[in-house]
Amino acid sequence: MKTKIENCLAVALLVGSTAVAAQISDYQSVTEELLRSPSSGDWLSWRGTQAGWGYSALDQINSENVGQLQLIWSWAMDDTGAGEAAPLIHDGVMFLPGPRGVIQALNAANGDLIWEYRPGITPTIEGSNAVALGPDQLGTAAMPTTAFAGVGRGVQKNIAIFGDMIYAATENASIRAIDARSGLLVWETPVADPALGYYYTAGPIVANGTLVTGINGCERYKDDVCFITGHDPLTGEERWRTDTVARPGTPGGDTWGDLPLRFRAGSDAWIAGSYDPEANLVYWGTAQAKPWARAVRGTSGDALYTNSTLALNPDTGEMVWYYQHLPGETHDMDEVFETVLVDVDGRQSLFKMGKLAILWQLDRISGEIIKATDVGYQTIVNVNPVTGAITYRDGLLPRIGEQIDMCPSTSGFKSWRAMAYSPQTSAMYIPITLNCELATFGPTEQVLGGGGTGPVRRINYPHPQSNGNLGELLVLDIPSGEVKWRYRSRAPINTAALTTAGGLVFFGDWDRRMFALDAENGDILWQTRVTTSAQGFPISYMVDGRQFIALPAATGGASWSSMLPRDLAPELVRPRNGNSMHVFALPAP
Amino acid sequence: MRIKACSRKAFSLAVTMLIVNVVSVAQSDDSIWSGVFTAQQAVRGAADYSTNCASCHSVDLRGNSNTPSLLGMSFMFIWEGRSLGELYTKMRDEMPSDRPGSLSTQSYEDMLAYLLQSNQFPAGEKELKASAGMLDRISITSKPLTDSICCRLDID
Repeated sequence: MKTKIENCLAVALLVGSTAVAAQISDYQSVTEELLRSPSSGDWLSWRGTQAGWGYSALDQINSENVGQLQLIWSWAMDDTGAGEAAPLIHDGVMFLPGPRGVIQALNAANGDLIWEYRPGITPTIEGSNAVALGPDQLGTAAMPTTAFAGVGRGVQKNIAIFGDMIYAATENASIRAIDARSGLLVWETPVADPALGYYYTAGPIVANGTLVTGINGCERYKDDVCFITGHDPLTGEERWRTDTVARPGTPGGDTWGDLPLRFRAGSDAWIAGSYDPEANLVYWGTAQAKPWARAVRGTSGDALYTNSTLALNPDTGEMVWYYQHLPGETHDMDEVFETVLVDVDGRQSLFKMGKLAILWQLDRISGEIIKATDVGYQTIVNVNPVTGAITYRDGLLPRIGEQIDMCPSTSGFKSWRAMAYSPQTSAMYIPITLNCELATFGPTEQVLGGGGTGPVRRINYPHPQSNGNLGELLVLDIPSGEVKWRYRSRAPINTAALTTAGGLVFFGDWDRRMFALDAENGDILWQTRVTTSAQGFPISYMVDGRQFIALPAATGGASWSSMLPRDLAPELVRPRNGNSMHVFALPAP
Repeated sequence: MRIKACSRKAFSLAVTMLIVNVVSVAQSDDSIWSGVFTAQQAVRGAADYSTNCASCHSVDLRGNSNTPSLLGMSFMFIWEGRSLGELYTKMRDEMPSDRPGSLSTQSYEDMLAYLLQSNQFPAGEKELKASAGMLDRISITSKPLTDSICCRLDID
């Protein structure tokens, strides 16, 4: 990988920083074919490949030598919001998403900055008539970029790379394209009105030449519903928009009872999906209905297409099938999370897990349930392992103002910290947090602009099976669903998992530790400690024959990252800031 | 009596609030309805809220999918019957969630004033102060039902 330092004085003056002075001179366009079959040294999709395994085929770092890992470089990221970075790697360059729309291109071998994009500061590329959105377009959502953004706005999990551009979805409900060589803005397209509560925390994926992105912030009552869109990568033009909520009078519309459109909230699509190019289907999860409790939202119907896996044709947005995991969900048990595409015994399957820690295996062509495996920690539903049908246990349907005792808490066992699959061990490595709650659901105003999740008086308490531990890396054999091993810790496991062909699984915890475990048996083979909580999406890549492991640390984010450690492990303390990237490798030969 | 835009449950909740209100006011020297903050203080609090809280709880205080609404029925469901001292302590010890306790005492006081003003509690002549346990003696109680922000009632 080479970078060419150019005399970009004019650009530097415009940006107000001399740091942006370089370009990637030998950038190679990312084709559809490359996305389907990336080099093992690259990391072109947010979970490595379009199948979402979170797996690296590199094995230079392996269970024999991982104990020799050394810190090669680290990089402080902006502390203006929650860090949940899912970086990409292409030809030795790391494209690193930071809070509040910042993206930086770094030399992945040594951490040198090549360029950085800053919303509202970085200029547009020459010849483009794109205009960065200003306060007039953003309305009340416009926030000073120096202000702290916290849990909601500012999260930028994943970005996408395709052609000559880097794509991002913003806290202000727009999608933008950045020139991959220079970091300059190419186009920015408003997708929804942020004043209505819409925003993005997950970025796009690219599927058959279309940018596919899911919106967040759909909990407010308004005369519209949540959606996923497909955009032209060259221009940003919207090609299609698929609602994730069934409107009155449309198929499934009666599953919301007689609630008018404006009171059909939720079904946010806040985690990026996966893509099967052979089937030409995008798989995208949706969140629970809002307000959370049936008694509060005013219908006990299934509320399609909440808490579902949707199979979409990326060319048209057509919903080819859906599978609703928890019909009429009523405890804030989100099923939106990552979709992992694995063929099992010749059957094209997908795997998902939601807050209840039920592992779902679906046929990804037909959408039929193959198997539902309840790990056994949750106390809310009974699930039929064959049909996937769920029934609520006695006394567990929330009534307004009446306390119920439930596991997990409304924070869930599983969250955005994605699980990883290893084809070596045929196992799924799943970060979860053990917790329970005494929960009392309360009412909310049924008025435009109101709604939301509904209030909950919550008292968190430790899970009876946890022995005081919050964190667990749960390893399930595929396809049996049997527990292969468990790693437990007092602190929540706070990153996604990364599996590698070196027989390893990498992850980190809230208490600033980063680990490599033997993927076969869970032995701790390497650990280190960093500036603040491990948080984000670990990746692996190779530059000039050397394998690297990149582990992000960060603060911000909801539930596991703030409330649960505070309430249930108060002796653990971390710094208030420290968003950063830490990159490790074996000693140079 | 016909109840609009307010469920029967919410109505009975509101009636309960009214009863609690009467009892609380009778027991307390410092009523939250007597004006326990100033309008100017709430203006300062609004600015601090915008900088430190709005990104999570939204500019209109109604929260998002990760954060509770701080307004109206949702606010009262959580805080009804509890003291201002308890609310202040939660704000100071737990907020902003990723850097709790990082703001000045005045900033927390001002933002509490803004929170109260946003929930229709009246401003008064004296600024709200966290010192000397004063806030512990002020109970959060709902308005009389006829003025309630929770329900619009049409009585036939």
